[in-house]
Amino acid sequence: MPAQSPVGPIALWRSRSGRAAAFADRCPHRGMRLSHGFVRGETLSCIYHGWSYAQGGNCLRIPAHPGLAPPETIRVATQAVEDSGGIIWISVGEAAAPPPRLEGFAPLRSMMVEADIAALEAAAGAKADGGLLDHRHDDRTVRLLLASVGEARTLMHVLVGEDSNPTERIAASRAAETLRRAAEGIRRGRVAQ
Amino acid sequence: MKLYDYVLSPSCYKARLMAALAGVKLDIRPVDFHPGAEHRGPELMALNPAGSIPILEDGDLVLTESSAMLVYLAAQAAPQWLGNDTAGEAARVQQWLSFSHRLTASLGAARLHEMLLRPGNIDVLLGQGTTALRELEAGLVEQHIRGQRFLALDRPTVADIACFPYVALAPDGGVSLDPYPAIRLWSRAIRGLDGFIEMPGIHRLHELRPEPVPEVGEA
Repeated sequence: MPAQSPVGPIALWRSRSGRAAAFADRCPHRGMRLSHGFVRGETLSCIYHGWSYAQGGNCLRIPAHPGLAPPETIRVATQAVEDSGGIIWISVGEAAAPPPRLEGFAPLRSMMVEADIAALEAAAGAKADGGLLDHRHDDRTVRLLLASVGEARTLMHVLVGEDSNPTERIAASRAAETLRRAAEGIRRGRVAQ
Repeated sequence: MKLYDYVLSPSCYKARLMAALAGVKLDIRPVDFHPGAEHRGPELMALNPAGSIPILEDGDLVLTESSAMLVYLAAQAAPQWLGNDTAGEAARVQQWLSFSHRLTASLGAARLHEMLLRPGNIDVLLGQGTTALRELEAGLVEQHIRGQRFLALDRPTVADIACFPYVALAPDGGVSLDPYPAIRLWSRAIRGLDGFIEMPGIHRLHELRPEPVPEVGEA
């Protein structure tokens, strides 16, 4: 599937055995988005000419030249991936520190917000700490994991207490919608000034 | 049953898709919508003064609204698609059937603007389309929390078919579906249904075949 990272669009994929990998979303052959491709076993194949790549990014096979062992230099840029607690973390280069621990929380949904993190902080009345923002609603807390996408967009992952029942999870989803509306309203107000 | 049809029209596709899923054979009468504007010609205007397609004709019955066609096809051949076992279910289906018109008016109009240069304020249309997609995404998230995979129930209904085509074709109008994971999962669930048929721009789930092996002596 397509996703965003600080170094540009990526193709995020999971092999048949369950291992996640993050590739630059561009086939080195003709530039086709690899997120349009398909997973076959432990490899990702480009939809355009079928070049297939191992999880390490090295090209394994070029269907138009079945006898050729692709040289090592044909390689997709990859990013390190850590898959824990229902969240896939991507680090650009070596990870400086392990991902934050989110014990007691489980991912609920991901949403795009047309506002920056400052607007979300203002709407929530709380400060984000290392991309984590705790938002109180209905005497409960939703934990928001925030990643800036460009200047005025934020990808917001919503986490709820892992013991939440369906009613509480639906309430958390609606609280996140309300927060998004408020943040986007604040951003519009700021732009209008 | 005769369908006045245009292959690139998402509304016509709704009727074709529902008929395929319900196992109804349609007699397709192609209409030269573009560039011929045959739907505005005397023959079709006599049948449908609104000048729109699709038109579904079955004996004396002439239907010109796609949601009505979905209900008619389902009631004829696949009543489980009506999703009307309880008052709440029937109302939820109606809610999404009505909602589907907002998709047509926003994402559909944006698509006509981009593909056929129809007049319209594209920024307003994209804004309305995004609002509708966010509502759909939130609705599907809540359905997942309830353990249900489709819009109204845990099985597909006419509501899903009414909403699916304009959503799936949103990128034609310049609206990306990347920010909507629940919509993408739902789209996969519909595209994987038995009897699913395609239209240009909406493909079935790829069947993964074993990697082809070169024949001896080749290359």
